[in-house]
Amino acid sequence: MGVGNQTSFGGTNDDTLSFNGEAQRNVMTNELISGWGRTQWVRSQIERASTSEEVRDLVQSGQKRLIPRGLGRSYGDAAQLSGGISLLLDEPSTDPIITDGRTTLSAGYSLDNLLRRIVPKGYFVPVTPGTRYVTLGGALASDIHGKNHHLEGTFSRHIESFAIVTPTGTHLVTENSDPDLFNATAGGMGLTGIVTDMTMKLIPIESAYIKMETSRLRDLDETLATMAGSDHKFRYSVAWIDLMARGSAMGRSVLTRGDHALKADLSPQLAQDPFKYEAKALADAPSFIPNGLLNNLTVRAFNELWFRKAPSYRADEVSTIAAFFHPLDMVGKWNRIYGKKGFLQYQFVLPDGKEEVLREIIERLSGLQVASFLAVLKRFGPENDAFLSFPKPGWTLALDIPITNAEIGNLLDELDRMVLLAGGRIYLAKDSRMSKEVFEEMYPKLDRFKEVKARVDPNNVITSDIATRLSIC
Amino acid sequence: MFDAFRTPDNVLVVGGSSDIGLEIAKALAKRGSSNFLLAGRNIDQMASCANDISSSSKSRCQVAVVHYDASHENSHGHLLAAAKDELKTLDYAIFAVGLLGDQLNDEKDPAKTKEILDINFTTQAMAILEVANYMKEQGFGHIVVISSVAGVRVRRSNFIYGAAKAGLDGFSMALGDALAGSGVGVTVVRPGFVKTKMTAHLSAAPLSTNAEAVAKATLKATDAEKSSVYVPFAIGIVAGIYRHLPRKIARRVPF
Repeated sequence: MGVGNQTSFGGTNDDTLSFNGEAQRNVMTNELISGWGRTQWVRSQIERASTSEEVRDLVQSGQKRLIPRGLGRSYGDAAQLSGGISLLLDEPSTDPIITDGRTTLSAGYSLDNLLRRIVPKGYFVPVTPGTRYVTLGGALASDIHGKNHHLEGTFSRHIESFAIVTPTGTHLVTENSDPDLFNATAGGMGLTGIVTDMTMKLIPIESAYIKMETSRLRDLDETLATMAGSDHKFRYSVAWIDLMARGSAMGRSVLTRGDHALKADLSPQLAQDPFKYEAKALADAPSFIPNGLLNNLTVRAFNELWFRKAPSYRADEVSTIAAFFHPLDMVGKWNRIYGKKGFLQYQFVLPDGKEEVLREIIERLSGLQVASFLAVLKRFGPENDAFLSFPKPGWTLALDIPITNAEIGNLLDELDRMVLLAGGRIYLAKDSRMSKEVFEEMYPKLDRFKEVKARVDPNNVITSDIATRLSIC
Repeated sequence: MFDAFRTPDNVLVVGGSSDIGLEIAKALAKRGSSNFLLAGRNIDQMASCANDISSSSKSRCQVAVVHYDASHENSHGHLLAAAKDELKTLDYAIFAVGLLGDQLNDEKDPAKTKEILDINFTTQAMAILEVANYMKEQGFGHIVVISSVAGVRVRRSNFIYGAAKAGLDGFSMALGDALAGSGVGVTVVRPGFVKTKMTAHLSAAPLSTNAEAVAKATLKATDAEKSSVYVPFAIGIVAGIYRHLPRKIARRVPF
């Protein structure tokens, strides 16, 4: 299956069951679903709504518990509700109307679709994660961050207002009109209600390209020093760390940074069509992959190759938006490569000044030789007021870990403790395993979230598997 | 709920004072399962099991105990009601009820025969179905049924117990088939001779094992969502050969 199927769920056990546009409209199905990590499979009733009236009818009837689900890219169990309804919003096929650099869109809109429609018009989304296969609703619920967090903050900072259907009413919310509901919803994992539309500030661009600088950094010291020293000069910055490298090479990385290319930066050839936006998925990962394909040897070889192919330093390279922001989207369903048991993504943030803890964690991970592909290291800027939003100023590291045995779970529990003691936290959109106790301590504004939750959804109609697992509400 | 490593949060142990059930529960507590409900006849023994589980636990852990006598009417209904009361979700249920009996005496006593069949098979089957239907509604869950190699080919030396285990085994395997795609899994565990209080009066058979080993193999099997597992592995090979031996030869095999 090619690009057309990219909008199906993150994990369905059977392709024939997955939703396919118009064909199954208004047909309610019961499916086995999971998050992107393919670890926690549950049966859930899949419902779809295309208007806020339909959403209201479902939510306010109070008949059955539900949770909104977008494209199923959260890694664990955030976008699913076992034994209840997982509610999807139809993705409109209309073009966004842009007025004064702002646009109001359905929460079911995917970044993929949006970028295809706005980049040719000279606009870009204010924040994009490492995949464009997320919905705007999911982006707000996870309060996602991108390569520009150090300067421009999370997704919700660029949302002027949103319409939300809660079990007790329908509201148009801005940060001023109802700051509590705004801050509980941004990063609130969909648990305050169903956001149906939102108004977002877009950013103007002069081309569909990124002017990029690449530096190969030999170890962790150099990586940290370079990023701390000069990230502020670049709108976008992320380092890919080789976690398999040990000894003096531990923490070696390839740092790519850049900004939207101006027309003047383009070669004459590209300048002929500066807004030409191409984002293709080349192929899907095959459906059968044996457990253990990604082992120490294969991953080490890949990482070595990838590190060596990077230039030691190169500036003024021009990259496409898709290659710069969404390289993994080139392979459809790449989550299958981890085999039947699936994988998890461990992402934490450590405050500035806790670099020694970061070093210790990287040492532990590289010492264990977890067969992890490149990990991603990034600097975060200021924290926002959203109660369950993840970022805080400092360093965030994200790495994929294939599920092999429960021993790795014990190591991660120990790392959780180190992160917690250092004043850091784990990202809910990635989590599939932390403990309730750790979660509560990492998110001190949980009480404020619960107050809002009790106000807008006193009967806990909106809930999810992660909410149950972590006792969020 | 389960976490990414398939560690459940909430666990029900039916046969709450069984050595195998206890070891599985301890192994789960060590991995981070935090709520347990032990259901069985012997409250005192279960209370001491509860202590064992708590002290194996990695973090905060709660163990509740409920009296469950499979011979009482609607005991399966009460079991489920207790599980719903005590556990937020019913993630993982272990059925470890076992009564070995005394073959040579029991075969002369129809009431005894019925008791062995009821405890090992009939009442457990009812309780398993009750839990399975609930988990199906819930959208996920895992059921572990402690069967036995004794049920693979029923032998003269313990054919009442063996027949009950054979029934339980077939029932549970096919239940697993019935639940395919429902989000609920079933794992049938077939230990060989396990040194436990149930078998303390017997001399150990070849390839005997212990409750810790059964627990370890069980978790490995449920992690991988296997439908069945022999403990130890080699007993599966022996049982596989033995079950196909011509009856005249099998009759002479001395165990």
